Amino acid sequence: MPPSPCALCKVNRALILRPKDHSKLCKTCFISVFETEIHHTITTNALFHRGEKVAIGASGGKDSTVLASVLKTLNERYDYSLDLILLSIDEGIKGYRDDSLETVKRNAEQYGMHLTILGYDELYGWTMDQVVEQVGKKGNCTYCGVFRRQALDRGASRLGVKHVVTGHNADDVAETVLMNLLRGDLPRLSRTTSIVTSTPSASADPASDTNIKRSKPLKYAYEKEIVLYAHHKKLDYFSTECIYSPEAFRGSARALIKNLERVRPSAILDVVRSGEDMAKLVPGSDEGCGGACSKGVSAAEEEEGEGGCGSAQGRSTGGEMASVEAQLRQNEAAVDGHLETEITTKTINGSGKQQEACAANGKKAKKGIVPKKSSKQVMGQCKRCGYLSSQEICKACVLLEGLNKARPRNHIEVGYEVQDVSLNSVRDELDATSIRRD
Amino acid sequence: MPGKHLSHASDEPCRRCKHNLSVLVVRSEPLCHDCFARYVHTKCIKRLESFRVHFGAEQPPRILVPLSFGVSSLTLLHILNRHLQTQKSKTGRTGFAISAVYIQDPGQDLPAEHWLEKARQQYPDHQYASLPLHEVFRLVPDDASLQALVPQLEHQGNASPQQRFAHLINSLSSATARADVLTTLRTRLIVEHAQRIGCESILWGDSTTRLAQRTLAETAKGRGFSLPWHISDGASPFGLHFHYPLRDVLKKELVSYTHMSEPGLAALVHETTPGVAQASMSSKNTTIDDLMKQYFESVEENFPSIVANVVRTTSKLEIRPGAAADPRCSLCSMPVPGGRFGIHAWGGDQQDGQDFTSSGRNNLCHGCTRSIPKPVVGCSGS
Repeated sequence: MPPSPCALCKVNRALILRPKDHSKLCKTCFISVFETEIHHTITTNALFHRGEKVAIGASGGKDSTVLASVLKTLNERYDYSLDLILLSIDEGIKGYRDDSLETVKRNAEQYGMHLTILGYDELYGWTMDQVVEQVGKKGNCTYCGVFRRQALDRGASRLGVKHVVTGHNADDVAETVLMNLLRGDLPRLSRTTSIVTSTPSASADPASDTNIKRSKPLKYAYEKEIVLYAHHKKLDYFSTECIYSPEAFRGSARALIKNLERVRPSAILDVVRSGEDMAKLVPGSDEGCGGACSKGVSAAEEEEGEGGCGSAQGRSTGGEMASVEAQLRQNEAAVDGHLETEITTKTINGSGKQQEACAANGKKAKKGIVPKKSSKQVMGQCKRCGYLSSQEICKACVLLEGLNKARPRNHIEVGYEVQDVSLNSVRDELDATSIRRD
Repeated sequence: MPGKHLSHASDEPCRRCKHNLSVLVVRSEPLCHDCFARYVHTKCIKRLESFRVHFGAEQPPRILVPLSFGVSSLTLLHILNRHLQTQKSKTGRTGFAISAVYIQDPGQDLPAEHWLEKARQQYPDHQYASLPLHEVFRLVPDDASLQALVPQLEHQGNASPQQRFAHLINSLSSATARADVLTTLRTRLIVEHAQRIGCESILWGDSTTRLAQRTLAETAKGRGFSLPWHISDGASPFGLHFHYPLRDVLKKELVSYTHMSEPGLAALVHETTPGVAQASMSSKNTTIDDLMKQYFESVEENFPSIVANVVRTTSKLEIRPGAAADPRCSLCSMPVPGGRFGIHAWGGDQQDGQDFTSSGRNNLCHGCTRSIPKPVVGCSGS
């Protein structure tokens, strides 16, 4: 078979089979069409305004590295006149984050962008390695996710930036759509499909770190094309997954998305479109509450993290599906309860018959049987840290409280900020204990 | 294991009657034969509130039950038949009258008349009919839009419905597209038949598992916009009502039911698409529907409540007000919000301009656009 020419320029030899639609392109045309599509996403959604200062949430991974590279290119080519900076969060995971942060530092030089690194230890007094040591490998993704949402907002606010862009791609969004269908979480499905999630500020203070706009310019870009782009542009990125495991629901949804892509390449984009359309059908979705009225966490906090971690919902890892199953079964038993057993579960509050009809038809989200619900909540500020929260104390502070209780030595610790370079925190812990006894 | 039957549970008494020995475990409850049958009946019949006996009514409303001769649709017919007998013995009247229809897929060798006759012997009080799927080109009244989907046929005005049908199916480029278009056409033919014989409602045999599969499959095909109509009870865009009385029963529970029920039911079951779960996933012939079927059959095994929750959650999606006035898709007939036909009318496709693939003749929704080959030459599609 003779080498086929590029479907676009018809001149060069086609070397790339485009993952998204299987068109055959040459390298130059692929790079240009990839960039043009991101430009299209940015302009049709009016993501930026001229002169805006934008922080790129940079992890050193492929998505955020490509995002930084493409934004720099487009900013120059189309004269967006954006002030682009890099913002990295150091979760404090040895063998993962410290290596990837080196990548971010090189990216900052390569792209001539200012870089700020903000550590969990600096913000919360805990690195993720210490959290894992404390709570174990199960369930630590919850901590990481909750901490990171706030960390990006706090970092942005510290830098005087009102807009953070993240590297979420089409695969991530599609995965999130399926995952939330499987978990039965319509409010979250509705929020996570939108390209911009901004948290309305609860305080009048313009410097508050709660009204930071988030957007995902790579929302329609295929993961495979991001990898191809990084490869052909010879971008410098770090390609190790987080060493702590992802949640079961996301893993399940991710496997489905990969299989779907194999059967029909357009399926990823089709799921994204379905998700956007379904968001409009979610009861109460357009009642002006934006993303802020559910679960007591800000829209930003609700967003799903890159690379499989960061769900605020992820109580545990391996057993997540099993525990949701158990919870649902309990609810079902309670609903069926009016038939022959005593009603014991507190989710039941009406007469049996009504509950039954409601559970079956699912007409009213408020009365729902499933625990996660789109109930309206009043947003306020956390009494401890001032972060947007529907509870008195925000999620991060609640988690911190639990952690700190188990570490009473914390307040007398000296030189704790260098904790992340110490090699063995078990030994530190022992040392600290013995010092205190002295 | 939920739903696994016999041996496992036999030393435990039934959780409900506390009397007989249990024969299987249903959602962590050991049940005896009778209580399990009652469990399935109750789940189905409580969905039939609108078909109670109305003493004022002169004639009971006629409903259509589409039969595939699979476990689910036959179980539905069986339970409905039983329900009618109960109504009759209690009140001397019935709340509804049943018509059943079997749609013959092309190239299928199931002798329709033979099987319908067997069903008639088993459940003699109802009307039965069978239609070949290509009849959709003859029966659907505004068929111009359907026919225009296959451009080559425009000048063959005298082609038979069979020929047109074969043309259309042969023009589809993937197994997913073929399965999708066949399902869509089947639904349209069933609806058309229901209207012609004066049915007010169609009672589908879909189980919980099947509805969950549908939910994710339609999502994956870009039909999120029409999802409420695919899985909710109530008015359909076709003008009659859709009901899914088995929506609270899992597929594996229906399988157990047919095994344990009277032998006449099991003898009728003729699964026309067996063993999808065994099909190789690398096969080019795998469809999105197969993928979801396989997925939920495995989830159902250990996480039945998650399957049920997908369906319950999705039925909370609300139909847009004013949807009835929206322009319809030429193929699936669903109202498309704001007439945004095709795939390019959507920002996510990242192409400016209007949809050139579905020219003025056809207005296809996102999902149907993916299945129907583009008239423009040169694009391989998916």
